[in-house]
Amino acid sequence: MAEKHRAGVEIMSDSKSARAAGDEQLLSQSGVSALLRGALLRLLESRPEDPVGFLAEHFAHLSSEAEDGASERQSVSRALWHLSLAHHSHRSAFNNNVRVAYELLTQGVPRRLSAGGVRGRLYSEMLRCLCSEGGLSGSTAAPLLRRVQSHDYESVPFELFRQGVLTCAVFADYIRKSQCLYAAVASAPDRPAERTLCHAVLSTLRDALETADGIDVARYLEASAKISPAKVAQAMAEVQPRAQRHDGPTMDAQEFEDAAAALFIARVRTVT
Amino acid sequence: MKMNTDRFSLTVDEYLAETNVLIYLNDAVTQLLEHKEEYTQFGVVRYFAEYFTSVKNGNHVLFREFSYIKVTPHNRESFIHTFWKCFRQIGKNGDLLAMSEYSSLLQLLCPDFPTEMVQNAARIVLIEDATDCLMSFSDFIYAFQIQFFYEEFVESVSVIYQDLLSGKSPNTVIVPTSTSVEQISSAASEEPDAQEGVDSSIFCECIEGLCERFKHKFPSTVAIKEILESSQRVSFYGFLMALAKHEGVNQDIGALPNKSDLLIDPEMDQELERL
Repeated sequence: MAEKHRAGVEIMSDSKSARAAGDEQLLSQSGVSALLRGALLRLLESRPEDPVGFLAEHFAHLSSEAEDGASERQSVSRALWHLSLAHHSHRSAFNNNVRVAYELLTQGVPRRLSAGGVRGRLYSEMLRCLCSEGGLSGSTAAPLLRRVQSHDYESVPFELFRQGVLTCAVFADYIRKSQCLYAAVASAPDRPAERTLCHAVLSTLRDALETADGIDVARYLEASAKISPAKVAQAMAEVQPRAQRHDGPTMDAQEFEDAAAALFIARVRTVT
Repeated sequence: MKMNTDRFSLTVDEYLAETNVLIYLNDAVTQLLEHKEEYTQFGVVRYFAEYFTSVKNGNHVLFREFSYIKVTPHNRESFIHTFWKCFRQIGKNGDLLAMSEYSSLLQLLCPDFPTEMVQNAARIVLIEDATDCLMSFSDFIYAFQIQFFYEEFVESVSVIYQDLLSGKSPNTVIVPTSTSVEQISSAASEEPDAQEGVDSSIFCECIEGLCERFKHKFPSTVAIKEILESSQRVSFYGFLMALAKHEGVNQDIGALPNKSDLLIDPEMDQELERL
């Protein structure tokens, strides 16, 4: 029984090796090897949390692109999906994804028109979606977008594209952080916080932003990370004692958020 | 299939290994070569898109060979889930089936599914006696889940159990073999006090030691401790049955709903109402 089995295996492996050579040829001719190599490279660049899902989307996008060419709407949503794969703090993965998004948005456009970069309209659309996906309301995002958007007819080169995307991503994080800070100083979840406390926190935020010099937007977030709970506690201690707490004027969440946003946006260079 | 956030600090090989991506890529290419006609019809890119989408959705294990359905935890979980979806009606009807019938059902979904594994699952339900007895769908599927999803763990634990029964030192090096389950049953029939089982706390210590260096999936040590702390002595099949019934263990695997929701099948109910 064992001998028969072994002989069977041997026969199989002989015809198998003949088939293997034919298979290899088939794979390289049909472009499968190149396809898989490209997919693996993308995967390793992005390091998504769900690799199987990533590969499913990757091939699905490729195949629908091949079939009917990418529509603009599709390009923007695909670009957004790529940008969602890695947080901006994972700098090289994030930059890779920005590069992929940029290429997606310049595809399908005749060479002479795409020479300068992404069309302004698409770029602005992308930034708008990025802000809303980051949880920013239209009113919070609007002042920032006014600074970084470009005109519909303009062409946005890669470096500018990258800066814009990074700025929006960092801003979304920054606003989230500000919301947490507000929650920390509000004495109860349903009551607005003391105005004086809010001012104290806002000035600590401003100080932190000011110490980050240089144009790299992401440094602003590192700076705001210096606002540890200890610093907030210190700010609170420097403000009026508990007894007077309940009588003073208050600041609601939206006003705080707008003020924090203004501090950040003031440091963003307007695109000319 | 979610991973932790320090996936960026892994090397390429580590990341690929942790995600089992190469297993799926290899299988996709192998399948492609075996069914060339399909790709010439629809295109290679579309083929890969469909392959990975079906892996993601858990549909990829249907009618595949046993070696494939057991190769990754995700595949095992998908298979258990598929089995449940396909046959939960049996549970609804209240039918009791024999081990051989469950085996046939499994082989409908996986042609070379080994009967030995179904036998082992049946032993858990019937506490090893009279494996030609009938079992309910609910009892069978939860026991089957433990046996199949944690196959390597069950094997290793059976070796530990046998060592403890035969009085060997709990610090013996564990080497699982495929004959270990048979050894358990012969030992049980020879020794009259095998029914007493082993001391729970020593058993627990040994299993925890196993889990510290175990390379395969195992149930949470929290669940294991909970089970073994509830009685002074425990039998092998008693332990496995407790694992099968443990809600936390079931949720960790993620293939089956709670026992109370096991037989709920709204689409089938709608269909039946139309008739």
